[in-house]
Amino acid sequence: MQKDDHSVVRAVLAGDKDAYGTLVRAHSAAVFKVAFRIIGNEADAEEIVQEAFLRAYQRLESFQRRSSFGTWIYRIAVNCALDRISKPGIEAECRPGEEDDSEEMTVQVAARDADPERWLLSREISTAQEMAMLRLTPTEKTAFVLRHHEDRSTSEIAETLGIAPNAAKNAVFRAVQKLRRELAPLRGNA
Amino acid sequence: MIKHLSDEELIELYYGGAWQTASAHLQACRVCAAQYAELKQSLDTINTIEVPQKNAQYGEQVWGTLLPRLIPYEKEVSGWREWAQWRAITLSLGCAMLVATAFVGGRYWERHTGRTNTVARSASPHPGQPTVVVILADHLDRTERLLVALQHANSSDSEENAQLQSEARELLASNRLFWTTASRSDDPELAGALDRLGGVLAEIANNPNLTAEDLKRVRQEMNTEGILFDIRVLRTRKPDQGNVPNQAMGDSI
Repeated sequence: MQKDDHSVVRAVLAGDKDAYGTLVRAHSAAVFKVAFRIIGNEADAEEIVQEAFLRAYQRLESFQRRSSFGTWIYRIAVNCALDRISKPGIEAECRPGEEDDSEEMTVQVAARDADPERWLLSREISTAQEMAMLRLTPTEKTAFVLRHHEDRSTSEIAETLGIAPNAAKNAVFRAVQKLRRELAPLRGNA
Repeated sequence: MIKHLSDEELIELYYGGAWQTASAHLQACRVCAAQYAELKQSLDTINTIEVPQKNAQYGEQVWGTLLPRLIPYEKEVSGWREWAQWRAITLSLGCAMLVATAFVGGRYWERHTGRTNTVARSASPHPGQPTVVVILADHLDRTERLLVALQHANSSDSEENAQLQSEARELLASNRLFWTTASRSDDPELAGALDRLGGVLAEIANNPNLTAEDLKRVRQEMNTEGILFDIRVLRTRKPDQGNVPNQAMGDSI
């Protein structure tokens, strides 16, 4: 796949714009996944996908042939998402409200009709978790999502965010400490 | 006296780092085992984010929206234009070789005549690439000013904070460059200070609503006073102490 991606990139740079469609079709789902995990909102994540592929197309000449296109577009998408959550006002938009609990739930909860008490507890944990995530800075949140949900190593996070490995490690560390503090009251119930 | 695992080490352990040494310690130490169990319980409760499933047509939809916004790259040239291009490349290569020969010859001659001019350590590790030489001393000056401003920033003046943030954004990129160079040139003191500085710059640069409270938190959590001290010490280093600030230092970008 990697070799194919490289030949597609060469074709695009030679003037075959339509060839870029192959890359978009192959990597859209993966890019959407990481964007959604950072942004937590489907519509915004879809916009991030568009923006990431557009930015990648515009900078295709700087694409390093030794890396894979998948890794490259992943990094671009993470940085687009980080830029998005760094903009003032976005956090307020993402703040969980009373009415958004039916369709836009970003966390896994147990089926409502299986056990109402358990469902309520699960809902409480989810809300507390969302609130706790809002207390993180954009860098901390992104680093934590990459570590905890995307299973990326410290060096991969550092490379993706363009910071030193120790700074990436510290960002994850601070995020975990904050989340532990915020979720401590729920620990007995879980 | 037994040395317990730090919170950082426990978190590393949870995510699969340094497994062998830390897990051996956990088996022997009840205190750390209890702390690890508590950490694991906290992190395990953080649920998996359920990502909405996209169907097989999703990639096609993205492409459909993207297509009208793309401007095609210029097609490759052919025929006599291609030949002219090759001629230009050959000519450029010839000139480059001439310059390289003159340079090597000059260096050889310099050694033979025993001249001991000091050459600034600004040579690019990637010859042939355009090199931007950035002066480390300027970078340290600017970061020192930023850290001093940060130490005294208590106002809720959004304009002042925005200025601080914009300066941090600019410094973040060059700091990364210096950190890479310092790490490669085996200067742990400089690399360590730039590494800690990078964390502070990233925190300030990426914060959407930088408030006085945020700045206070950054000062406390990241020990900016200590970093400022390190930067001042680095600025006073003498020429025989590694990469001194008054020397040119840079990397290819």
